[in-house]
Amino acid sequence: MTVRSLGWPVMVTLGILAAWEAVVGALGVKPVLLPRPTVIAQVLWTKAPLILEHLWPTLYEIALGFLLSVVGGVLVAVLVTYSTIVRKGFYPLIVVSQIVPKVAVAPLLVVWFGLGGTSRLLLAFLIAFFPMVINTATGLTSVDEDFVRMARAYMGSRWQIFTKIRLPHALPLIFGGMKISITLAVIGVVVAEFVAAQRGIGYLIVMANGLLDTPLMMAAITALSVMGLALYGVVAIVERAVIYWQQPTDPARGGFA
Amino acid sequence: MRESVTLAGVGKTYASGVEAIREVAFQVAQGEFLTLLGPSGCGKSTLLTMIAGLLAPSRGTIAVDGAPVQGPRRDVGIVFQSPVLLPWRTVLGNVLLPIEMLRLGRRPWEVRARDLLAMAQLTDFAAKLPHELSGGMKQRVSICRALVHDPSLLLMDEPFSALDALTRDQMGQELLRIWELYRKTVIFVTHSIREAVFLSDRVLVMTPRPAAIGFEIDIKLARPRTLDMQESDEFNGYVGVLRRAIETGGRR
Ligand SMILES: Nc1ncnc2c1ncn2[C@@H]1O[C@H](COP(=O)(O)OP(=O)(O)OP(=O)(O)O)[C@@H](O)[C@H]1O
Ligand SMILES: [Mg+2]
Repeated sequence: MTVRSLGWPVMVTLGILAAWEAVVGALGVKPVLLPRPTVIAQVLWTKAPLILEHLWPTLYEIALGFLLSVVGGVLVAVLVTYSTIVRKGFYPLIVVSQIVPKVAVAPLLVVWFGLGGTSRLLLAFLIAFFPMVINTATGLTSVDEDFVRMARAYMGSRWQIFTKIRLPHALPLIFGGMKISITLAVIGVVVAEFVAAQRGIGYLIVMANGLLDTPLMMAAITALSVMGLALYGVVAIVERAVIYWQQPTDPARGGFA
Repeated sequence: MRESVTLAGVGKTYASGVEAIREVAFQVAQGEFLTLLGPSGCGKSTLLTMIAGLLAPSRGTIAVDGAPVQGPRRDVGIVFQSPVLLPWRTVLGNVLLPIEMLRLGRRPWEVRARDLLAMAQLTDFAAKLPHELSGGMKQRVSICRALVHDPSLLLMDEPFSALDALTRDQMGQELLRIWELYRKTVIFVTHSIREAVFLSDRVLVMTPRPAAIGFEIDIKLARPRTLDMQESDEFNGYVGVLRRAIETGGRR
């Protein structure tokens, strides 16, 4: 995505915000129901210290949960690729386990692991690691057989074929998985904070909700969204730097560019 | 005349039950350019893969330089139909891949890699990525890669069949030029009769699957060969003979 291609979404967003402001103002909707964007912006500004105080622990746990998912997901994918026992015995179980809605498991995790960061990390991991496994395993195994034959003809070992061929070949898919995982890690941590936490942006949202402080709630949601977007952006930037040999697939570019 | 490759009673039946090769026996002399010609699906790739040590024959023995083939060997270079270049490596990095795989130490071999690229007229492209190259250039890179570790035997499985006719003629000429410089033993697989005649010292025609060698002919055209020769009566005589051999199913 180039800076120029940002023009359209920014224009559309501004348009929607302006319409929202005008309609809510004209109809005199109460702030408890739906505050005007300018009110939200004001709260964001005046309550910035409070929001930031709750944003940091959330950010920290999202980052940690994401890294765990990436490392764990890639490791599981390697095992799935190279171990028949894991592929035939455990992989189907991992896939089936994805049917269980993780959000529903959140209270259970709190029962097992308490109110601390462990349950939040675990929920983030459980939600976010699966796309890493699927994408990485697909990447590692989708190498054209000719590449492997070529490498074997030059006496490449399994390790060399893994590091020099399979892993780099899988990188674009691994990054695709990371882009999904980072957004899922956000969901995991925030949902866990809804269920049980004394701090964190999810906690702040629930608390503001309880106080019927809708402007604060929406300010917190806005802050959370911006953070999620920034995290995604970081992954996308790293992806660009790492995968220099191909254009990242970008549905937003679309059309006959 | 020393033998580079010897096949004796070689047969291959795949685990699926497909008998790809019935019985093949031939010898290739050191420095000889031998071409295997045969209909699609007759087992040419299977045969080449076995010579490369990537696949074990079901019957018979294969020896390279007097030693039985038991797996991939360091003195074999291989070129496939597609260039199989790693897209994240530069041209030079791709050429040096066998050196890395064989753990030979990059420094001393980089000079040779650059020499090969120069000979293939790719000097300016050493630092480029494969996607910046044309099809013919990519295949030239893969030929450089097959030669970089100075193998004594070069195996080529329809290396030019994905190229357009003009490029294909050019590549044939370049291959001969390289071959005359280095005098590797070459086993070359193709569907094209003209290509076989143009390149080879000797052509073996394979029968339809399960394959055997049905016909054999020495090509006594003078070397170095030029594209003009392709219009000569001698050249077209060979083409006719081979065409008839293939039409009769490769059987004498
Ligand atoms: N891995 C495999 N397992 C089972 N059968 C195979 C395998 N590879 C090839 N075959 C079969 O063996 C036969 C010979 O295949 P091969 O690829 O050697 O033919 P070919 O002469 O190279 O064909 P082409 O000219 O189309 O490249 C074919 O019938 C094919 O279906
Ligand atoms: Mg073939």
